[in-house]
Amino acid sequence: MFWGAAALFALVMALFAITYLRREWLERLSPAQWIVGGGLILPMPILVLLTGTALVLGEQLLPHGNAPVRIEAHAERWHWTFTYPGGAPMADDVLHIPAGEPVDIVVTAGDVIHAFWVPRLGGKIDAIPGHTNTIRLQADKPGTYWGQCAEYCGEGHDTMFFRVEAHLPDDYARLIPGAAQ
Amino acid sequence: MSQTPTPLRLHKELDRIWRTPPGIHRLSSVNHTVLGKRFMVVALCFFAIGGLLSMLIRAQLATPNSAFIGPELYNQIFTMHGTVMMFLFAIPMFEGFVIYMLPKMLGARDMAFPRLTAYGFWCYLFGGLILIGAMLAGVAPNGGWFMYTPLSSKPYTPGINADVWLLGITFVEISAVTAAIEIFVSILKMRAPGMSLTRMPLMGWYMLVTSGMMIIGFPPLILGSILLELERAFELPFFDPTRGGDPLLWQHLFWLFGHPEVYIIFLPAAGALSTIIPVFAQRPILGYRAIIAAIVAMGFLSFGLWVHHMFTVGIPHLALAFFSAASALVAIPTAVQIFAWLGTLASGRPRWDIPMLYVFGFFFVFVIGGLTGVMLAMVPFNTQAHDTYFVVAHLHYVLVGGFVFPMLAGIYHWMPHISGRQSLYRLSIPAFWLIFIGFNLTFFLMHLTGLMGMPRRISTYPSNWGWDWLNLLSSVGGFILTMGFALVLADMVLQFRFGRFFRRDPWSAQTLEWATATPPPSYNFAAIPRIDRRADQLEPAKIGPVLAGGSGYLGFARNGDQETMGVEMTTGAPEHVIILPRRTFLPLWTALATASFFLALLFGLYGLTPFGALLTLVLFLLWPTTLGQKKDFGPVSIGMGETAVLDVECTSNVSILANRAALVMNGTLFSSLLFGGLFLLVVAPNWQGIAPLDLPIWLAVVAVLAASLSALCCWMARRANTAGNSAGVPLALAGLGQLVALGLLVGLMVWVPQPTEHARQAVIFVVLGYAALHCGLAALMAFHALLRLHQGYLSARRQTECILAWLWNGYAAGATCLALGLSLLLAMMGQIP
Amino acid sequence: MTPLDKRSLILLVAGFTLWSLAFVLLYVLQALGCAYDWSHHRLILIAAYLASLLPLAWLALQRSRDRGATTSLSTAALWANRAAFAAGVLVFAPVTFGSMCL
Repeated sequence: MFWGAAALFALVMALFAITYLRREWLERLSPAQWIVGGGLILPMPILVLLTGTALVLGEQLLPHGNAPVRIEAHAERWHWTFTYPGGAPMADDVLHIPAGEPVDIVVTAGDVIHAFWVPRLGGKIDAIPGHTNTIRLQADKPGTYWGQCAEYCGEGHDTMFFRVEAHLPDDYARLIPGAAQ
Repeated sequence: MSQTPTPLRLHKELDRIWRTPPGIHRLSSVNHTVLGKRFMVVALCFFAIGGLLSMLIRAQLATPNSAFIGPELYNQIFTMHGTVMMFLFAIPMFEGFVIYMLPKMLGARDMAFPRLTAYGFWCYLFGGLILIGAMLAGVAPNGGWFMYTPLSSKPYTPGINADVWLLGITFVEISAVTAAIEIFVSILKMRAPGMSLTRMPLMGWYMLVTSGMMIIGFPPLILGSILLELERAFELPFFDPTRGGDPLLWQHLFWLFGHPEVYIIFLPAAGALSTIIPVFAQRPILGYRAIIAAIVAMGFLSFGLWVHHMFTVGIPHLALAFFSAASALVAIPTAVQIFAWLGTLASGRPRWDIPMLYVFGFFFVFVIGGLTGVMLAMVPFNTQAHDTYFVVAHLHYVLVGGFVFPMLAGIYHWMPHISGRQSLYRLSIPAFWLIFIGFNLTFFLMHLTGLMGMPRRISTYPSNWGWDWLNLLSSVGGFILTMGFALVLADMVLQFRFGRFFRRDPWSAQTLEWATATPPPSYNFAAIPRIDRRADQLEPAKIGPVLAGGSGYLGFARNGDQETMGVEMTTGAPEHVIILPRRTFLPLWTALATASFFLALLFGLYGLTPFGALLTLVLFLLWPTTLGQKKDFGPVSIGMGETAVLDVECTSNVSILANRAALVMNGTLFSSLLFGGLFLLVVAPNWQGIAPLDLPIWLAVVAVLAASLSALCCWMARRANTAGNSAGVPLALAGLGQLVALGLLVGLMVWVPQPTEHARQAVIFVVLGYAALHCGLAALMAFHALLRLHQGYLSARRQTECILAWLWNGYAAGATCLALGLSLLLAMMGQIP
Repeated sequence: MTPLDKRSLILLVAGFTLWSLAFVLLYVLQALGCAYDWSHHRLILIAAYLASLLPLAWLALQRSRDRGATTSLSTAALWANRAAFAAGVLVFAPVTFGSMCL
């Protein structure tokens, strides 16, 4: 996407420069060629392909069916509370997940709109009072990932961080006994 | 009418009619040249304020863990930066430009409703002052410029900060609403004779589509603001999820306005580019028809994009797919225009001059913004980049590229027209490079910080995440950018003070605005030309002196009236003579009354609000008293050996068209309200477990009957009037009928049990209130027509008031039916316990 | 000239007005189907998709009635309507495969 954009940008800039510096190169193009060529033939296939790919990719990222692990994330100004299956809510701003398998995070909010976002795990979902949203994440490797609130939620928005700890499945089963199935 | 006076004598006679006298009388000006300039000057002042705020933002973010301003203040600053730039700078700036320029480009002597222009200006100024005053008092809005609920609702913003935004912006939006209708009507009806739609310069097309988009696009925002203010002031729970409301309703209403808004800002700038580029390419624009099709496509497609601001709120993927595809597709009409401009340059004999330097800036910056826009249209990418600095970078590339650079090109292109002087050209070149380099340094790096995970709207960040040097460079760029703007300002001042004088048309442009003297006289054209070719291929230097000599249409001063031509919408054939209202202090008084209403609301003095509203209404009722004719004149001379009737004797005059446009706008507001009600019904939480209400159906049926019969009476009144019979009795009946409907609807509103308890009751309450208001307005229109009939302003030829009464009564009847329909549907919801 | 121009002016916005209506219709059907759990949700959506394409296609094929009387406006209108048809085909195509309520 980046290289495609860079190429298109370079093309437009080059054309602009040529109109002043090497006009004779472009003189033979007719109005129709400019408009149909530049306005339709050039962008159309790119856009159709790009949008198509993005939609297929988007479909794959959706939480189809039920993931083995399902954790509730509740946002309230300005901290996160995570609840594991069969467990009590844990209000310590740390989310434990198993590495290498998909996890569904069920996101809710208690006061205003927040957004659940772990930049390195990709994608975000808003936590909206009155609604329940689900996002499917997967951490390929065990480790610590930072997460933060991405939707402006007032004075404490700056520091509404949380930590994601991804563990090997065995460690995870020991840590959160009720979680795996 | 005098016998062929000399150009100087003609100038004096016309100027005596049109000019704005000095001193205190300046405040009574309704002249579009004066008001256009005022709009632009005030908008540039707000631009400076917004710019200073952005300096504070960049100063705060320059270093990690900065303690320069705390989050509390920072939140106010970024909210105000966005709000000021969007609502107090961008929109009013192009409105001012269009108000100044459009009549001159199209060959008219003023806009269609000069007093409304003045009223709009005062509303803009007062509304803006409310916002800035609040900022100085430290109670500026702090919920972000899109004011998401419930953060902006009472429990989470208990102070008046959010009220300042809602009321201030709604007050300012009055000027956008009036401008939209005025621009729409002026383009369609007030062109030089012979200028058919397809001979209109592209600027006219751009503005026609823009004003149409404003007519459809602004009502959702205004509705949203009204509903949120009702929730904050009177506890009606439209957005409160615990009582059947939904925060998402606000987002839909806001972005349904907010996305078209971006194109509303871009299209006038694109219009300026389509005017400037052919001048410097020295050939007519390429692909005139393709561009028209592209503008129309863009106008419509831009309404199908709004959810791309909401990809992460949990809307099903299929719905996202529609919006994603439409967002990608809107790149096509943009590409058509970009390549039409490039092609125009390539196939012409391009000249290099200062405006082209800024046009180059546009190409560079806007193309990047467009490409990142396509990236953001892709759902998976969007969910990652949403609400990060990537979006901040994108939106600045689009808005600065798509509006500020074309605006600067426009300033350098048209400033000589306003000042009558040419620039000295020394400062504009370093200014450009400072702006260009500063801008790219500031905002290109934000793409990277965004991709590295920096979210928007944080006042500080830890230092170990690698964002430090990028942010520091961004801040440095921001200050370079500011220096560039300061140089532009200095350049403008110098040009006004020391610039060289020139005769006509310094750029050899080919559009009509250069046929006026510069600076333009108060009446624009001593005579209005006949256009016999496409109006972007004229020779202003040649026709200017001819027009100044009075050869053309209306090349005389008659009865001390401000006359201009009204034409047939599509062909541009001369149709009628428009007599415009003279200058008056009424717009100022009316705007002050309106301000008192908004201030009373703002300070919670609800007991005083009816007085402000009533005063505004009474003052508005004084407006028509100076208009109209008490006898039929028949066709009068318009010069060139032709005749036309006066506007009051024509049934396609600007008043009627404007009222139709206003009703379309009003209808959009109402449909947004109806959709809002249905949206809550289908989507909002906490609608289970409510009991049905037994709405008194017989009251509803009688109200519908009363409103419908009134509309029927108005229709009969109109027929009677056209046939030369008296319309008095049916008009009186219509007015009374609407009053009955009004009473019944108010009765039903009182009946609604506890509207603050659940969104269902709140929606019924507001929908009924809307219908009641319109029955009241319809009664007013009917009685007004009756009064005008009584005073002798109506005849079989002079039908305007009768037609207006019919339009508003018909609308009120329709609104009452729909309002009661929705109320019944909502009342039936729920299980009997 | 006048009636022809007026017709072209209406045609200029007709295609995209229909497109907007179809957009609203499909979005509403999608939302209603999810809210009330319709059993033939996708069939209904596809039917609405095809039905909304018919008038768009018809408009896109409208040439000026009188030969030789094509004005700039009628040409622009034809192009706008073809664009609207293309936009209809592309933008609504996801009804055939997108996840409806997820």
